[in-house]
Amino acid sequence: MSDIGTGATPPPDVDLDRVWIGVAAQVWRRQPGPAERTAGRLLRSPGLARALLTTPSLLLPWLIASVAVLAVGAVATRGTGEPLVALLAPGVAGAGIAYAYGPGIDPAWELSRSMAVSDRMVLLVRAFAVFAVNAVLGLAASFASGTAAALTFGWLIPMTAVCALALAAATVVRSPNAGVAAGLAGWTITLLSGQAATGQYTVVLSASALVPVYLAVAAVCAAVVAYATRLPKGTT
Amino acid sequence: MNVEIVDLTRRFGRTEAVAGVSLQAGPGVFGLLGPNGAGKTSLLRMLATVIQPSSGTLRLLGRDPGSYGPRREIRRRLGYLPQNLGYYPGFTVAEFVEYFALLKDMPPGRVPAAVAAAVERTGLGDKARAKLRTLSGGMLRRAGIAQAIVNEPELLLLDEPTAGLDPEQRVSFRAMLRNLGETATVIVSTHLVEDVGAACTKVALMNQGKILFYGTPTELTARADGTDAAGDAPLERGYSAVLAAARTGAGAWS
Repeated sequence: MSDIGTGATPPPDVDLDRVWIGVAAQVWRRQPGPAERTAGRLLRSPGLARALLTTPSLLLPWLIASVAVLAVGAVATRGTGEPLVALLAPGVAGAGIAYAYGPGIDPAWELSRSMAVSDRMVLLVRAFAVFAVNAVLGLAASFASGTAAALTFGWLIPMTAVCALALAAATVVRSPNAGVAAGLAGWTITLLSGQAATGQYTVVLSASALVPVYLAVAAVCAAVVAYATRLPKGTT
Repeated sequence: MNVEIVDLTRRFGRTEAVAGVSLQAGPGVFGLLGPNGAGKTSLLRMLATVIQPSSGTLRLLGRDPGSYGPRREIRRRLGYLPQNLGYYPGFTVAEFVEYFALLKDMPPGRVPAAVAAAVERTGLGDKARAKLRTLSGGMLRRAGIAQAIVNEPELLLLDEPTAGLDPEQRVSFRAMLRNLGETATVIVSTHLVEDVGAACTKVALMNQGKILFYGTPTELTARADGTDAAGDAPLERGYSAVLAAARTGAGAWS
């Protein structure tokens, strides 16, 4: 390494290893993209920003799948008049939240738990980001489907409850699949209950009496997540 | 002392994986030996603050990992290589090491040079820009070691670090361990007694959650004197002698 190309001998006070490390650092340096730079500024932590950008359910294949499901829902809504986007969006978001972070889904989960950036913060930041992205996608699909204004936004609060349920189950059982199952099961049971009681699925989206119930479910699930990710006692 | 453990236990349901371990360790390379299920990995995971003890006292780098602030400070100065290293297949070696440097809260300006140094130190310089999915098992292990040492840790915990390394790589890895042990506390869990003999200043032998022996590799070798303990090397015979004595109830270390 010392004399490639020149045949010269370096001065005795030059530490070639150090020089090489400096060169390698520049050559191998990764340039964060605009999203990571913005996240780093907002979160005030480059590590948290990097962890956010590796969220499995925010990667391109997952986003494409979510867009495809909601697009099909929007087309079907236009064709049938049934508010399928509003029924699909909470399930899609719940699955995304459950797959945001955890053992089995995050390859380096064990290692991440020994890091200075707390895994609780990683979980919360990822869950929030997945929720926000799915809310935007759902709203776009909802507008595109041309449903009534009440239904365009009516699924947002049920979606909050479904996401919180999926996150709580995934966190407690430490399995993203369990989170998806709990979220989808909870939402399906809710829809079927509405259908059984009134003869129409959409009642679970439009009934204002259900809003406190959804919020209560979300609050309880958030408390469960907070408890399940509480700071462990190091000593007794 | 960088590691101070008093009567530490860890239970998983009815199984007591670590049963009242007490240990102190300053700078140096410490080998953790023992058969499968001895409790080595559980002890290492507690030291890595990944799992919490069921009871007992644990102080790392002079701090109590039970509180948020001190635990964060410990984790900044900690290096950990788990037994099963998970990795992102689409990351390059340099990206993988950089990811954990950032999660260790290293100042961003210091990260590129630290990554380069860690990658070079583990002999992965020519693979720095290779995707992890293209690497062999030994190279992945070295990438894992690189992320563990990227922050120049004061406490380095390595669970089966030489698994998958070829003999030449193991020799250079042991040299690196000795070098790291001059300033840091390095705890190495391994099945390979020759790693312990070559690199460790102290060795603890665990079985059924307890420490049966704690001393130098020479002292462990001496345990085989006057016994017919099995083994191909002196240290292996010492290892077998301590385990055999424990099975007959003739000598637990305290």
